[in-house]
Amino acid sequence: MSRARPARRRRVPALDPVTREIIRGALRAAQAHMEAVIERTAMSPFIREKNDYFAGILDARGRVVCGTMVPLFGNLMQIIFEQYAPDTMRPGDLYWYNDCYGSRGGVSHSPDMVFAAPVFHRGRLVAFSQTWGHFWDIGGMRAGSISPDATEIFHEGIIVPAVRIYREGVLNDEAFRIFLRNSRFPEILKGDIRAVLAGCQLGERRLLELFDRFGADTVLAAWALFEQQCRDTIRKTLESRIPDGSYESEDAVDGDGMSDRSFRVRMRLTKEGGRITLDTRASDDQARGPINFIMHPSVPKLIVGIYLLSGHPTILLNDGAQDAIDEVLVRPGSILQPHWPASLGNRAHTLARVQSNVLALLALATGGDVPAPNSVYNIYFLRGFDRARNEFFLCSDGVAVGYGARPFADGLDAIYYVAQKNYPAEFMEMVFPLRLRRYALHQDSGGPGRFRGGAGVIREIELTAEEAIVALRQDNILFPPAGVNGGHAGRPGSCVVNPGRPDERRLAPMSDGNGLRKGDVLRLSTSGGGGWGHPFDRPLERVRRDVVGGFVSVGAAREDYGVVVDESGTIDAAATEALRARPRGPVRMFHRNSYFGPPVAPLQ
Amino acid sequence: MGYTVALDVGGTFTDVALVHEASGRLWVTKTPTTPHDVSAGFIAGIDKALRLAGVEAASLRHVLHGTTTATNAILEGKGAATGLLTTAGFRYVLEIGRHDIPRRANMFAWVKPARPVSPELIFEIGGRVTVEGEELEPLDEAGVRAAARRLREAGVNSIAVCFLHSYANPAHERRAHAVLLDEHPDCAVSLSSEVLPVFREFERSMGTVLNAYVQPLVAGYVARLVEQLRPRGITAPLSIMKSNGGVIGADVVRTQAIHTALSGPAAGVIGVRRIGEAAGFADLISVDVGGTSADVCLVRGGEAEVTVEGRVGAWPLHVPMIDIHTIGAGGGSIARVTDDGTLTVGPESAGAQPGPVCYGAGGEEPTVTDAHLVLGRIPSHLLGGEIPLDVERARRAIEERVAQPLGLPLAAAAHGILDIVNNNMVGALRLVSVERGYDPRDFVLVPFGGAGPLHGADLAALLAMRTVVVPRHPGVLSTFGLLGTEVRNDYARTSLQKPPDYDLGAVGAVYADLEGQARAWLAAEGVEPAGHRLTRLADLRYRHQGFELTVPWPEADLSVDALVARFHERHRQLYTYALADAPVEIVTLRVAAAGRVRRFTLPSLDRRGAAAAQHPRRRVYFAGVGWKACPCIDRERLGVGAVVTGPAIVEQPDTTTVVPPGHRATVDRVGNLVIRAGARRPRGPRYQ
Repeated sequence: MSRARPARRRRVPALDPVTREIIRGALRAAQAHMEAVIERTAMSPFIREKNDYFAGILDARGRVVCGTMVPLFGNLMQIIFEQYAPDTMRPGDLYWYNDCYGSRGGVSHSPDMVFAAPVFHRGRLVAFSQTWGHFWDIGGMRAGSISPDATEIFHEGIIVPAVRIYREGVLNDEAFRIFLRNSRFPEILKGDIRAVLAGCQLGERRLLELFDRFGADTVLAAWALFEQQCRDTIRKTLESRIPDGSYESEDAVDGDGMSDRSFRVRMRLTKEGGRITLDTRASDDQARGPINFIMHPSVPKLIVGIYLLSGHPTILLNDGAQDAIDEVLVRPGSILQPHWPASLGNRAHTLARVQSNVLALLALATGGDVPAPNSVYNIYFLRGFDRARNEFFLCSDGVAVGYGARPFADGLDAIYYVAQKNYPAEFMEMVFPLRLRRYALHQDSGGPGRFRGGAGVIREIELTAEEAIVALRQDNILFPPAGVNGGHAGRPGSCVVNPGRPDERRLAPMSDGNGLRKGDVLRLSTSGGGGWGHPFDRPLERVRRDVVGGFVSVGAAREDYGVVVDESGTIDAAATEALRARPRGPVRMFHRNSYFGPPVAPLQ
Repeated sequence: MGYTVALDVGGTFTDVALVHEASGRLWVTKTPTTPHDVSAGFIAGIDKALRLAGVEAASLRHVLHGTTTATNAILEGKGAATGLLTTAGFRYVLEIGRHDIPRRANMFAWVKPARPVSPELIFEIGGRVTVEGEELEPLDEAGVRAAARRLREAGVNSIAVCFLHSYANPAHERRAHAVLLDEHPDCAVSLSSEVLPVFREFERSMGTVLNAYVQPLVAGYVARLVEQLRPRGITAPLSIMKSNGGVIGADVVRTQAIHTALSGPAAGVIGVRRIGEAAGFADLISVDVGGTSADVCLVRGGEAEVTVEGRVGAWPLHVPMIDIHTIGAGGGSIARVTDDGTLTVGPESAGAQPGPVCYGAGGEEPTVTDAHLVLGRIPSHLLGGEIPLDVERARRAIEERVAQPLGLPLAAAAHGILDIVNNNMVGALRLVSVERGYDPRDFVLVPFGGAGPLHGADLAALLAMRTVVVPRHPGVLSTFGLLGTEVRNDYARTSLQKPPDYDLGAVGAVYADLEGQARAWLAAEGVEPAGHRLTRLADLRYRHQGFELTVPWPEADLSVDALVARFHERHRQLYTYALADAPVEIVTLRVAAAGRVRRFTLPSLDRRGAAAAQHPRRRVYFAGVGWKACPCIDRERLGVGAVVTGPAIVEQPDTTTVVPPGHRATVDRVGNLVIRAGARRPRGPRYQ
């Protein structure tokens, strides 16, 4: 070793607001670059067309510095640290897992795989570049790995504990081959993993450039500040908007596909002396079917965080949001904290009710100043063997719903989720043995309101292969998204085979093993979002536009909105005035079938 | 021998360049843009240039034009009432789009942008074609007829037609076209199989709808120009710049209106290409900084990169366009301190009205221009003294709204504004270089537009780029692009070929067909067959991938090995890896057609050497150096070979160039100012 030059005193550059902003921009750019590479190169329709992946930047302790605006993640690094101490990590390593129970809800169903690359700057571990993708098929009881029939985590594919899949740039080929051998579609799986890895490694490179430019001390000081800003903004907003008190809410998942019952999620939010507690322990016991959700305490905190940050676009959503709520109480054995080895594949159904509960609590605390809830997205799986092409096929098609109306705008029509895209008809017909016959907005599904809930969709396919098996996951039919502040609930969806034919039949919303033959038609209609504000307060022109655009029928305009209008958009002013002058009866904060909750004062 | 005139209409000024084709002699001028009717300023500009050169209108042989009519119509939502015919079952193709909330958006706050066509003007038409192009159900002609009548009665005269799989078989769309004209003779029809014959129905529908949406405006505008040229005795053909960097005749614009979406910026990039040629550089990155935005583009081997996945405003626009990345960063970008103590600059802009604080026209929020002024980087008047600037007012605005809230000294606050806007631009520069697999250090930076040369040297330093070329006329570069352009059109058709049995016979047939169209078009544009340049390209992907990469396929025998090798290499360059053992699919075949119709050489500068050493001095602030008295040199007095040692400010009516400490600038043969960092190599990050 050569002797080092006499140490100069290291100057820590001041963390001025300019440097801070430049570092923030660089983080977002690095993240965007990681995402672009994943999206452009992945192979499964899930990642490449639907974009079911996320990229994030974490600090050396695994805290999120720059994440994604979805309330979906727990602590992503803890499970890795439990297996591999940070001081054993080296440049070129890459860590990997999908172990839901092992990560205590870090990821919440097995197809979601986490990859993380440590970033070393001058020998010091300074960060992790992390990517996350939903993989097409990782084994399990059915192609696609998720089935409403699953009752154990083992039915839902191979479980990867935290492993080091690369050591100093060298692939652990043995482990990798074991994993690939467990998939029905190894070529696609391999391509997806290559894409997600490339994203991770690019993130590492971009982060190193950032550290080279500003020095580790400056960058890390900026990160600490971003977290502080996120924390302060959320706490300050909470303080000013949520009065002290105790608020209670309840919502339910329709069913688990196994038992003839629904599953309630119950919450109580208590704010007292600057301390906020969320108690979910009164929620129902875990289910036999795959709707169990290992709710990491981060999840309700992130929902609150995203809601409160909606007016602060410069703030990065990060681990600062962990302080949104001081304590989240869960009960082991409940649907929000199931005992191993309960199945988890359709946990999104329960996550949707966690979100609707948190929004309801905020509605109670703020006098309705929140978005109305939305239904969980729908997915159908079409599986079979295509004799024309001589290969197995698997079509897993995510279908949009309507989002809840907001205090300032209508709900979003036809939305699946943040950042996730649909399969174009021309793509579907190029790749799968089916024909997309219809892809339309689901008329009258949006909850009526001064602001209308977003409309769900209708997606209708015809099978062109000889036969196939359909699995369906749909919810919010018994319990559609509630209306808020005088708005009405969204209207539910359905799934029908051969509508209008003698052999017409309805599919159970959580079911597998439904057979289809060539020429059969499957029509999936999805739920609309909840409305906001009383529908009689909706301006006539907006109702008129909804009718001519087909979002609302002539009948619903009269029944729900008190507007008499024909299909061409001509309004009968006198008749409308008479209808709207009818007494409204007591209007309450929430609506589903009828109003419930505290009363709402009429619009001034 | 005659003359060619080129006009680029900007937000404030219309730039005009007139060239004598034989000698290359050039006249440059500008007139105010007339926003209410742009053609008035256009005609005034031609008159002014002709007067300046003492040339008769009749001796004009070509009129070339870059226009923002299409872009503005889309961005401002002011296109024509448009109807859409779609396949039965798909009336909501635009409303549904790709059913996502954007990745960066807040799910509770995001509002969907209003579609250019609302559902009541979208008509479902029976008839179905398979993915292979076979007819499954015949076209419902009665349905087309009924839709045409409804649209005619509603006064909708521009109609887009986009049927499923029409890229594989356009017969239904063509038949619908005929029926529409039969029933509604005054309507203009845009067919998706002509505008964008590539799969993915939302993006294709949107491209076709946008074409229909801007078509009447663009066609009307072009017709008005032609109308006003004729009475002046100007019979020269009018050509319009397209987004892909080529020009098309005024009559073709009618059917390809959407191809002018990036007309103006594309002209700028072609201008940069010409500057590079003259200065001996083929690998360039251009940055055009105006009042509200900066356009960044990479030119490699003398060719601008082209994308087929562009956007205009909120919409995807997948027609071939020069890959120009635009960000909201310019002289008018507003600097603000948020409640949480974050300093942001842009994308909001003070625009031309009220403009920066220093214009004294009512602007109160400090802008990038104000920061330049306070730091002494621009003179206290613009356009050679025509517009005086209020330094004191700018200083006060930055002091009160930025320096005090952040607890920074004034100069540091002003410089912070520049640092942030520079870094925003660096983000865009990296996007077109690093993120496309290119190392910016291998490129020369060409800053232009009114504010580009103020930032050029700093941007280059941030990316460790060694050379900056500031064109002689940075404000009117787009007109040079117009003068030096070619006619250019792109032809594409989706034709999925899977390994191992690529049907090269079918590929050859598609290419032959596309080339036939291309040659016919070039001939119609007046290009001699000897001047036709056709380039074959193909979009490839690994099996199961969802995005393709476009690579050239020059091999006459359609050698797949060479093509696939090229694809692997490009994949590695862009995405860091290639999958040597994965099957490769050919998805879309393309032919790029170009032909040069005229030649324009940048005139040499006829002055030599530097002017006298006595220059006025001004105190200018540089980071790490502080205030320093700098010479302010009049660019008009710098001849070929002149050397300017930084720190120095070089002034000219249309821009100001900053030569920072440690940099040297020399004037080349055609008058470009070539700035290089001094003896010390600029230090910077490595790009892999």
